[in-house]
Amino acid sequence: MTKRTRKSHLADRQRLAETLKDAYDFDPRDPLVGLTRDQLSGSSLDRRTVLRLMAAGGTLTAASLLPGIGGPGTAHAQAGGTLTCGWAGVGELTTLDPHQINQVLLFQISSNIFGGLTHIDANLVAQGDLAESWTISDDGRIYTFKLREGVTFHNGDAFTADDVIYTYNRAIDPEKSIHGAVVGNVASVDKLNDLEVQFTLKAAQASFLVKSLERSSGRAMAIVSRGAIEQMGDQEYGLTPVGTGPFKVLPRQLGQGVTLEKFENYYDPERPKLDKVVIRPIIDAEPLAAAMEAGDIQLIGGNPVAPELVDRFLANPDLVVDEVAAPGFQSVWMNPHRDPFKVADFNKSVDELKQEPGFKVRLAIAKALDRERYIKQAQFGRGRPAFGTINPAMGFFFDEALNESSEQTFDIDAAKQLLADAGYPDGQGFPEIKILTTPAQRREVQVIANILSRNLNIKISLDTKDFPVLIDDFNSMRWDMCRLGSGGDFDPDDGLVDWMRSDSKFNGRTRDKEAMPFGFFADAKVDALIDEQRIAPSLDERKRLVQEANKITSDKVASAFLFHPADIQVRSTRVNFPAESRIPGLVDLDRVTIS
Amino acid sequence: MTRYLLNRAAGAVLVMWAVATLVFFMMRIVPGDPFAAMLFDSADPAAAEALRQKYGLDQPIYVQYVKWFWNALQGDLGTSIYGSRLEVSRLVMEALPRTLSLAFVSFVIAIIIAVPAGLIAATRRNTGLDHSVTVVAFLGLSMPDFWLGIVLIILFAANLQWLPAIGYVPLSEGFWPWLKHLILPSIAAGTAFSAIVARMIRSSMLEVLSADYMHVARSKGLRERTLIVLHAFPNALIPVVTVMGIAFAILMSGTVVVENVFAIKGLGRLLIVSIVNRDYAVVQGAILVVSAIFILTNFLVDMLYTVIDPRIRYSK
Repeated sequence: MTKRTRKSHLADRQRLAETLKDAYDFDPRDPLVGLTRDQLSGSSLDRRTVLRLMAAGGTLTAASLLPGIGGPGTAHAQAGGTLTCGWAGVGELTTLDPHQINQVLLFQISSNIFGGLTHIDANLVAQGDLAESWTISDDGRIYTFKLREGVTFHNGDAFTADDVIYTYNRAIDPEKSIHGAVVGNVASVDKLNDLEVQFTLKAAQASFLVKSLERSSGRAMAIVSRGAIEQMGDQEYGLTPVGTGPFKVLPRQLGQGVTLEKFENYYDPERPKLDKVVIRPIIDAEPLAAAMEAGDIQLIGGNPVAPELVDRFLANPDLVVDEVAAPGFQSVWMNPHRDPFKVADFNKSVDELKQEPGFKVRLAIAKALDRERYIKQAQFGRGRPAFGTINPAMGFFFDEALNESSEQTFDIDAAKQLLADAGYPDGQGFPEIKILTTPAQRREVQVIANILSRNLNIKISLDTKDFPVLIDDFNSMRWDMCRLGSGGDFDPDDGLVDWMRSDSKFNGRTRDKEAMPFGFFADAKVDALIDEQRIAPSLDERKRLVQEANKITSDKVASAFLFHPADIQVRSTRVNFPAESRIPGLVDLDRVTIS
Repeated sequence: MTRYLLNRAAGAVLVMWAVATLVFFMMRIVPGDPFAAMLFDSADPAAAEALRQKYGLDQPIYVQYVKWFWNALQGDLGTSIYGSRLEVSRLVMEALPRTLSLAFVSFVIAIIIAVPAGLIAATRRNTGLDHSVTVVAFLGLSMPDFWLGIVLIILFAANLQWLPAIGYVPLSEGFWPWLKHLILPSIAAGTAFSAIVARMIRSSMLEVLSADYMHVARSKGLRERTLIVLHAFPNALIPVVTVMGIAFAILMSGTVVVENVFAIKGLGRLLIVSIVNRDYAVVQGAILVVSAIFILTNFLVDMLYTVIDPRIRYSK
């Protein structure tokens, strides 16, 4: 190390220490952790505010403050060049129209093409994207955004408040968009002037900036180009969409993947760094691995990398394997309207529920589900046990203690006792039940069946169906057990509102409502807590309410929560992927460089 | 001959109609809502209803059938209802060159391997060479194409880095880029067919070589090479061409597994993805095209018989 770099290294260390000290400089009893309301909601969150929130949530480490991933094998590249990516687990990138896409692997791409009013950062906190700043009314219902000046679409059209309104109107048109519900809480959108727009909500919604306006996760409000849509038509727009994002899409044919090119007039002149990004869909795991090892591709995006490949990648000195918590949860659902899981009403205390045979069986299965063993055998050690919908990528809201405090905590003896109390001592007389799954998940669901068979001496057979059939059955509650979960959950609402409310969109949406008054779970207290957290006056209060609701769903076995997946990014050592772009679940390439 | 051609054309139309009708109703019988997966993430029931109306799926099934059939007669195969929402004809026409390229190169590779192997095995009957060809042919038949594909990728792409592991480049971007992307998938797809064709050439040649006219030719003093190449081989071709025709038709209808392994979006993959997504119009359109390919290939094979054996004439 030269004298000069040693000096700069010391300066870096000192700066790091000072930043850490400042982040933790607050009274832990203060609900606003030493921040003002303006700092929290008045504009895009600054670095200091984010670091303070991370410190309060216990997720801040020195590593979070480093500018890049660091460590051996990190590339130190200049701007320019072409990055070729393999998009895992997908045969075709059909449409990139944000109003039509519903897969994480597609909004990973659209996030590089479109801008939104906000965009989450690596800590899942909303930052201004096309919105420069915003104010929120005291009742939390009116959001006024000041738009970034001088932003243009890829086709040269200027971005104004009219585009926000056009995007909103297209998002709520069921013929054009499948995401109308994401902005279902919006009462109106009004243009104040070319660079100011106002959203009025029907009710306050704490998740509005992340869940409804975020450019990738919400999809509804990824800003689309009216001029391009009118010129190209909806179908062509899906193939080569025009947005305001860092990359533009080159003309393409279906089946040929997608090539993105640097958008020279992006609002941040420092981004994007790469000249070109080539995205190739690769459906099978082995060819994907071979393409990576051959150097045909330098980064893997798309569906999660097959866990059985991770150790192989780790052993390759030319590759970097970067693992963070993924924003999602996976569960084993039990139908409360079918034996032996019957529960007529969840609106009782846990102790009261424990008197019912159906609940005893549910709890027995949840407690016998050896999640560590499952993760080791089915996920090759990647991921962490889940006890609720709130995932560890949400850092601030995640309840670290739930694995100890939940009724679902692994306890084989208690599980056996519960099963015996329900009338099935050592599994005797337990009916043969089926677990609904897809062909792709057969292997890992077999692991679940084996664990339960080994621990409770019960027999569970697999009922394998194509995904559209599984979804149809799941929505109609035509299943004994079902293995299903959620990804792209960036806000607590993605877990609680979407899954755990009695009227949530996944909760037996198309069931026979006369025969089944509720879906897989319904609890009035959980509903009330979910409603309350949406209008919580402070982040700490919201966190408390979220964690309380989460714990009830866990204790009352809304499902046997299984695991939180890991987001594993594999890339060549030639690729420098800065930490600030490492947003769980996404593949933002605007700051990425290649040597 | 004209009458024969007209009969064949009428038969072809009938078969295509039967296939299309069968597929139309089967797709609607199998469980699974085409919009369930697409709208799983959406809480908006209006979205599903609007799409059902837009694509006419809210109408009685016979109305859907008549509309689809009438449009298909006019060349309109409808639009995809999942994802791209592009016209089916466009999706099929974009996938077809990839499948055609893969089928053509696979076929050529299969022939290059099969013809010499079959001839050598037949003319060196019961020698070490014959047994070797038989063993290799059985190996070729026994190896699953996905496994062979992965082995080829690991060997020639990952380790030796001679050829690309995945993808397809159109011929318009150059002959070598096109070919080098097709070599590994074509070997994977063509190996099994080369084994079948080699075995067929061997048995057919053995039959011809033992015929009386071959003994006559030999007694006239013809050279062995002339005997085999000019007299035996053409006469042994009829059953071989039948098998080759079937092989080509199967390759043309898309080798799904090989397409998946090498990330080539051909007809096979289009069809499988559409079936999984219950994308009715695409399944119906793609199967119609596949059945047309089968019928056309069969017809060409029948025509080829008259070239190979001038004694064959079609009169009805």
